[in-house]
Amino acid sequence: MKLKRLLIAGAALALTAFPAAAGALSFWHAYAGQQDKIDFITFALDEFARKHPDITLDVVAAEQSAYKTKLNTAMASGNPPDVFYTLPGGFLNAFVKGGQMYALDADLAKDGWRESFLESAIAQTMKDGKTYAVPVDVDSVVFWYDKALFAEKGWTVPKTYDELMALAEKAKEEGLVPFSLGNKDSWPATFWFQYMEMRLKGSGVVASFVNGDAGATLGAEGEKAFQTIAEIAQKDYFPIGFNGMSDQEANMLFLNGQAAMLLNGTWQIGASADAPEGFELGYFAFPSVSGGAGDQSDVLAGVAASFGISEKAENKADAVTLLKFLTSPEVMTKYVELRKTMVTVKGATTEAAAGPVLYGISNELMNAAGHLDSFYDTAMPPAATNIYYTTLQGVLDGSVAPADGAKRLEDALKANK
Amino acid sequence: MMRADIGFAKRHNRAALIFLAPALLFVFAFVAYPVVYAGWLSMFQWDGASAPVFVGVGNVLRLAGDPIFWASLGRNLLVALSAIVFQVFLALVIAYCLVRIVPAFSRIFLFFYLVPVMVSEICIGLLWRFMYNPYFGLVNAALKAVGLDSLKRGWLGESDTAFLAVVVVMSFTYLGLYVLLFTAAVRSVPESVYEAAEIDGAGHGRKFVSITVPMVWDAVRANSLLAIIGSLKTFSLVFVLTNGGPNHASEVVSTYLYKMGFGSFEMGYAATIGFAQMVLTALAAWIVFRYMKRKGDA
Repeated sequence: MKLKRLLIAGAALALTAFPAAAGALSFWHAYAGQQDKIDFITFALDEFARKHPDITLDVVAAEQSAYKTKLNTAMASGNPPDVFYTLPGGFLNAFVKGGQMYALDADLAKDGWRESFLESAIAQTMKDGKTYAVPVDVDSVVFWYDKALFAEKGWTVPKTYDELMALAEKAKEEGLVPFSLGNKDSWPATFWFQYMEMRLKGSGVVASFVNGDAGATLGAEGEKAFQTIAEIAQKDYFPIGFNGMSDQEANMLFLNGQAAMLLNGTWQIGASADAPEGFELGYFAFPSVSGGAGDQSDVLAGVAASFGISEKAENKADAVTLLKFLTSPEVMTKYVELRKTMVTVKGATTEAAAGPVLYGISNELMNAAGHLDSFYDTAMPPAATNIYYTTLQGVLDGSVAPADGAKRLEDALKANK
Repeated sequence: MMRADIGFAKRHNRAALIFLAPALLFVFAFVAYPVVYAGWLSMFQWDGASAPVFVGVGNVLRLAGDPIFWASLGRNLLVALSAIVFQVFLALVIAYCLVRIVPAFSRIFLFFYLVPVMVSEICIGLLWRFMYNPYFGLVNAALKAVGLDSLKRGWLGESDTAFLAVVVVMSFTYLGLYVLLFTAAVRSVPESVYEAAEIDGAGHGRKFVSITVPMVWDAVRANSLLAIIGSLKTFSLVFVLTNGGPNHASEVVSTYLYKMGFGSFEMGYAATIGFAQMVLTALAAWIVFRYMKRKGDA
């Protein structure tokens, strides 16, 4: 036991304590644990070593959820890596607030680097007018369905919220779960609330809280949005015990044909790869809500990951070289090809690399969108996210009244911490 | 004591200290230091990244008025209560049966009781998640098979059953450990006492209450203490099964601490919760030790 502890302590020291030598950079990323992620980072790092033999990288990889804790610990202890993967929004802003992030604006201004990114994407890694990270990939949320199932039942894709509810009722009568949902970890239900808020009030609600706008509010629409999704739950349109099921379990219902639809991110394309024979993944946009004040073409889409440089990094020129390489069209197109995820670099999400479904979402849905609204739960500060999550679970299972839920969320967002 | 003896003892003291020093060092590095650090941290508001802000007893006051914390602590106490009944007491009954009634099969039974103790809690949690799954799970399928369709539900996902579902898993998981400990204790009770009781016509019930329980009382006390401390610190099964949800319905102190520390990044408040948990656990242990003493013990 003691020996084990000693070894762990030693390993931790070895990983964090040795400062990078000249011409060397420490690089931390979360592309681990999943084959497509590993394939991507292996490709990128091999290419980098080939093109920049003068820069040696000291690479540390960790799986996503462990990575967050690891990076936080390193940041807190004042031993940040030089270049690292980070989530945008509240997670990144905490580091920015602590003065630990290097502002990239001067470098972005050179050689059209800033212009190579989608404007809506790079806006999500900015704070108080400065850019602290470069965005990598974009996830967007749409309704997913099995085309074969819809064809068999003669159902058509709904365009309005009323049509969606009518379709849900039909699905329920057929003994299917209308909308699969595995809300144990709470993020899956956030899409429902956010889309309702976007349709009813408009995009940018949480962003205005985060930016500290004086007039920021969820409005009466916040309560209405909670009210609407609570009604969906009351009608038993979600699976039994959805608050205890994981997203994977919800996926099992969906892919097995026990559930008709699923509101989920574009990672659903990867998750549907193991679907049974005959399953044909289709998507449709979140329908319009009549009387809603928001732009009904808006899409929930957010930057999922980004790369930043720590203020403490000694070798910033090489660090920028690494970031420029990682966000080059060549590497990013490979990213799309391997991970089936949209990227933030203009023109890199090609039809050949993305495949028809993803390309359709990127090219039709997102290009036609009035606004892209980034994920509320990653945009808001961590403490508010926690409250958002538990409130959603409570509203959906009826233990929190929609009005109380809206107030709880509004208060948490106003506290802005 | 003679002078030479004192010198001898002193020499040995030094040797003993030298041998104990490394262990002590580890205790300081990995137990004492973190405890002191947590105590210090609990006086700050800190998100793990920016500079800590001193708030003094602010975190303690916040804790005192935090309904989620008290509700979580209440659930920990319920876990402890259920552990005393469904783990410790039940284990003693089972141990008695294994040793006194079916000694021939005690080994094989013991083996089965011990399987969950040997499997990691995370695996057990994941296994039970499958059993509880409302659509593919064994629990609902079994209810359907015996015609109790009306009892089918989403066990882990509904506020009124989530905590109960977790407690059931805990009881199954830890029962075996106490059966093992009690089997050893019950075996050590001299056969002659039972023989005397049998001559007087005592049945199993009477022998259990009047001989076994008093004879293994020290083990009962130790195991109860173990169960209570374990219950107040319980984390992994809750974390895997429900993560404290839905909406804190199955939250215990440790999962709340984790959420505050690594979800909300409120390190200072999380340290306060941890410190309170430690103090309350020590207090509970002291109370149990004090009130479970046998009459006549010093």
